[in-house]
Amino acid sequence: MTRFVDSTITFPYRRSLGPVVGAFMTALTERRILGVRHGDAVLVPPMEWDPATGAELAADLVEVGPAGAVDSWTWVPTPSEQHPLDHAFAFAFIRLDGATTPLLHAVDAGSSAAMSVGMRVAPRWKGTRVGRIDDLACFVPGEDAETDGEDTGPAAEPVERMDYLASITYRNPVPASNDRIVEVSHEHRLIGLRCPTCARVYASGNGYCPIDAIPLGPECETDLPNTGTITNFVVVTPTPYPGQTETEPFARVFVLLDDTDVVITYSPVVDLAARDVRVGVRVRAVWIDDEDDGATGGLFGAWGSFAGWRPTGEPDVDNPDLVNRIF
Amino acid sequence: MTSRDIAVVGWAHTPLVRHTEQSETRMLMDVITAAITPLGLTRADIDFTCLGSCDYITGQAFSFVSNLDAIGAWPPKRDSHVEMDGAWALYEAWLRLQEGDIEIAVVTGSGRSSTGDPSLIYPMEMDPYFLAPLGADPVTFAALQARALIDAGIASERAMAEVAVRSRGKGDVDTLLAGDYVREPLRRHDLPPITDGAAAMVLAVGDRARHLVEHPAYITGFDHRTECHNPSFRSLTDSPSTRIAAAAAGRGDGPIEVAELQAAFTHEELLLRSVLELGDDVVVNASGGALAANPIMASGLCRIGHAADHILGGGHRALAHSTSGPCLQQNLICILEGTPAEMTA
Repeated sequence: MTRFVDSTITFPYRRSLGPVVGAFMTALTERRILGVRHGDAVLVPPMEWDPATGAELAADLVEVGPAGAVDSWTWVPTPSEQHPLDHAFAFAFIRLDGATTPLLHAVDAGSSAAMSVGMRVAPRWKGTRVGRIDDLACFVPGEDAETDGEDTGPAAEPVERMDYLASITYRNPVPASNDRIVEVSHEHRLIGLRCPTCARVYASGNGYCPIDAIPLGPECETDLPNTGTITNFVVVTPTPYPGQTETEPFARVFVLLDDTDVVITYSPVVDLAARDVRVGVRVRAVWIDDEDDGATGGLFGAWGSFAGWRPTGEPDVDNPDLVNRIF
Repeated sequence: MTSRDIAVVGWAHTPLVRHTEQSETRMLMDVITAAITPLGLTRADIDFTCLGSCDYITGQAFSFVSNLDAIGAWPPKRDSHVEMDGAWALYEAWLRLQEGDIEIAVVTGSGRSSTGDPSLIYPMEMDPYFLAPLGADPVTFAALQARALIDAGIASERAMAEVAVRSRGKGDVDTLLAGDYVREPLRRHDLPPITDGAAAMVLAVGDRARHLVEHPAYITGFDHRTECHNPSFRSLTDSPSTRIAAAAAGRGDGPIEVAELQAAFTHEELLLRSVLELGDDVVVNASGGALAANPIMASGLCRIGHAADHILGGGHRALAHSTSGPCLQQNLICILEGTPAEMTA
């Protein structure tokens, strides 16, 4: 059975809004909805440019609505976590009074039977507004705008930026060869896969030969030596970002294994200060001891019990071509 | 000089399934081999590749770089990538072959929809100010367009159910119409399946194409056009980008025998038939179309593949369509014929 792993990626975006969208968002905090004039038309939501031709518009903003009529609608019986309401609702294109184009938003109508093309709706504002499209909690049937809870008033300053947190959970298959590398690491072994066509050996766990484009199964497995020479390295000065746990500069090294053509890429060093890392250092693999309960290897355990490389104490290898070997 | 003597000579797709255990790279490895082997070609014969895929769906930045492992890029190859359906990768390869210095190109489209929840991923690709914060999802937009088409008399719930029955070759209209709405006026049968899969297609020029297969499927017209992103600013009852692309591709230059339309929702087929003026004499989506299998990033390339099959089998003229974006925002038309277009200076 293939193993799958879940991972959640979040992107905390902060977007600048510009003069037109910024004015629209600022007006939302004032419980007003703005469109932009374009000839005889009024575009809602307002744009800096004509969406059809790209021609710049004059930023001639005009208040519309707040009530309007439904152009088209659909019923959402089971909302997602991203939807504006947590119970069944309608998404609708709403043509606000004075607008030429419809705005997409939610209508809290109770049931689909209450929805129809042409029906009149008005905003339900949030009490606390920050300058986002969801300052409009939703629209409700009728002509009268309402406010949900206590009104905390408009924004003190013009709204110039908008936060948006994108978060997606992915479920990806883990190649069996990847798991196999972790498994044998507990026996303090490094393994590779030898391509039967070109005889190249791959130490990564992808399970195929990228040169011949063929899969490499367990029958291709071969043991690799635990010793080698640093060919190249990078010292990373960590900058704070979500998920970064390192605080001090750290080294990642590339190691050419002895008597092979295999380079183990981007791995940590042990008992070797970042300032002392150099090309040509002789190293041996370091393994997390079995009794070291709870410890994980380097790179968050991606290599199992393999923790990185420790200098052997042998003299450095003096070979100017070594530095070229990063793959 | 622009060579118009460029043909599809073969293609293949992986099993199109709800959930594959293969990585995208492994799917591509298998499907490229499946496309080139029957032609007697090896990866060494391929002069250019263009891969269509989407990092957003994979959840891995630069995921297309690992996909290069499937093309055997050593010695180094000419390669390109589009963050679009493989149909657009085919467009780029068609342009590249017109340079006249190479003979064989392979294009792919690949995606694993099962990696994430499409209803949560797609809203994040929408306009970030007005649409994404509302979680505006593709089925919602499709439903809003379907209602507009019904109001305009271009579609009806019954005609939509008929499209579903014909495409999937099962069920009956009255039973389907008794089902619950998923997003009124759309029922389950109006929606595409969620599909994992990949497709690969081989292009060849001139005599090389004629040596590889008996009936090369010559690309005699190819065009794609886009409209603005936010459906608020578009007519939902028309598809002007499809109409312009079809005219530019020469849709009207002769009768169409077979059409393959990337209509993921039933009402989209009705709109596209109307805009493309496809009468009852045209066989539409004999493959089942995107309603039978909808491999993300490969669904459009599969349409072109099935249309090409008609020509490879001895047919005369076929039309393939691909689309991208909410409510048919961007549309591509490819005309395939049994004889090459005249050379143009």
